[in-house]
Amino acid sequence: MRLRRTGRVPSDARVRHYDELDERTQAVVPELADRPRTALESADLEDGDVVKFTDCSLIRTR
Amino acid sequence: MSDSYVIVGDGIAGASAAETLREEAPDAEITVITEEGESLYNRILIKEFAKGKLPEAPISIHDESWYDDHDVDLRLNTLVVDVDVENDAIRTHEGETIEYDSLLLAIGGTPQQLPVGNADAEGIHHFWTFQDARKIKESVEDADRGVIVGAGLLGIDFAAICGAQDVEAKYLMRGDSWWRYALSNEGAEIMHEAMRERGVEPVFDSGVDHFEVDDDGHVVAAVDPNGERYECDFAGVAIGLDFNTEILEDTPIETDDGVIVDEYMRTNVDNVFAAGDITEFHDTVLGERAQNGAWGSAKEQGTIAAHNMIDHGSEPFKWVSSYSITHFDFPFLSFGHPTLGDDSVEATTDEGEWRRVALKDGRVVGGVLIGDLSPQSAFKQLMREKRDVSGQKELLMEPGFAVDDLAASTEH
Repeated sequence: MRLRRTGRVPSDARVRHYDELDERTQAVVPELADRPRTALESADLEDGDVVKFTDCSLIRTR
Repeated sequence: MSDSYVIVGDGIAGASAAETLREEAPDAEITVITEEGESLYNRILIKEFAKGKLPEAPISIHDESWYDDHDVDLRLNTLVVDVDVENDAIRTHEGETIEYDSLLLAIGGTPQQLPVGNADAEGIHHFWTFQDARKIKESVEDADRGVIVGAGLLGIDFAAICGAQDVEAKYLMRGDSWWRYALSNEGAEIMHEAMRERGVEPVFDSGVDHFEVDDDGHVVAAVDPNGERYECDFAGVAIGLDFNTEILEDTPIETDDGVIVDEYMRTNVDNVFAAGDITEFHDTVLGERAQNGAWGSAKEQGTIAAHNMIDHGSEPFKWVSSYSITHFDFPFLSFGHPTLGDDSVEATTDEGEWRRVALKDGRVVGGVLIGDLSPQSAFKQLMREKRDVSGQKELLMEPGFAVDDLAASTEH
């Protein structure tokens, strides 16, 4: 799983706020935000989801 | 005959209870009643909508077809005016009586209005529902100057909205810093600086004595207790919530600020439960009664309440809550009960990174992290395990702190 910052959020995207995520995913998201890093996939997030952390980021798992 | 469950409130607590009940009681009758005109939406994303950062569609979580698909009877725009615990029934504003075997109250709160002149003028906003967010967005987009009141976690959303919508704003605070009950001046100053960078100026030792309005009744200024006048065509007030307990006044259901429940989310009436920010619950982690309005806590309480409505005593609520602020280019996270405790430890761990941990009887009860959220899991674990960190609290301030560090230290 990796995060890619996105400026525009599509109307059909599933958007998750950081506070909705489970504890493990909450620990991972700050490590991936704005960094070219990957982490193990989270059951809490799917490919194409948008996460609102300090920016909006698109989740990519492929 | 199948059991019937009535849920009052379709926020995340009520909705998670409905989902759990449907999963675990496939034949049950489930009714969800809400005074709002729309079904479950994401209350913690509506601030992003008001900022103009998110379209409306992704904020909806359950459209009305979800209720049909799950055989849940949804009543929108319906106000519950009476709870009759002797006859196991509620009555609506339209005079309908709905009987239940088990009732869940997820009735939340209503934003408090400032007790000052012209506090209900046009252009003065409170922020709780999606409909509030729509009005705020419409109003702030036409505004040039704003005033914000309420130096806490909800007030800062107004600051972010003004910043995002290019409204020059004054943030009037009664004390000498933002969220002074949880942060020292050093931590708060990081937040103040982030506000200033977005055109929102904190004003300390201030507040609102009264608002001034024009001939049309629209706000034109806020005057603080020092006589200082701040012109504005938009005002955001976030000074707290009144919990919606008035429908319970003539019932035996025990209330204080909210509805009092045990760790199973049950009130003092056997078949009446409560969940979400309305509850004053027995916090098994803290060891005393607590109240919490965070999204994760409300969702979990709804789930736990549903389990116990089916089988009381089956699962207690045990949760360490957290609440983040994601408006700035650094993260902010509060966890547990950062305003409680009899001791605390704090440190600046790097440039723009600050943390504070609140302790009670040598145990972690909450805290605040700014910039670096990496120790959050460790601190939550310490809370859940009720670890005594007496004599070692400075270790909590070490960059890269892990629970094992504490254990190793204990062994020495």
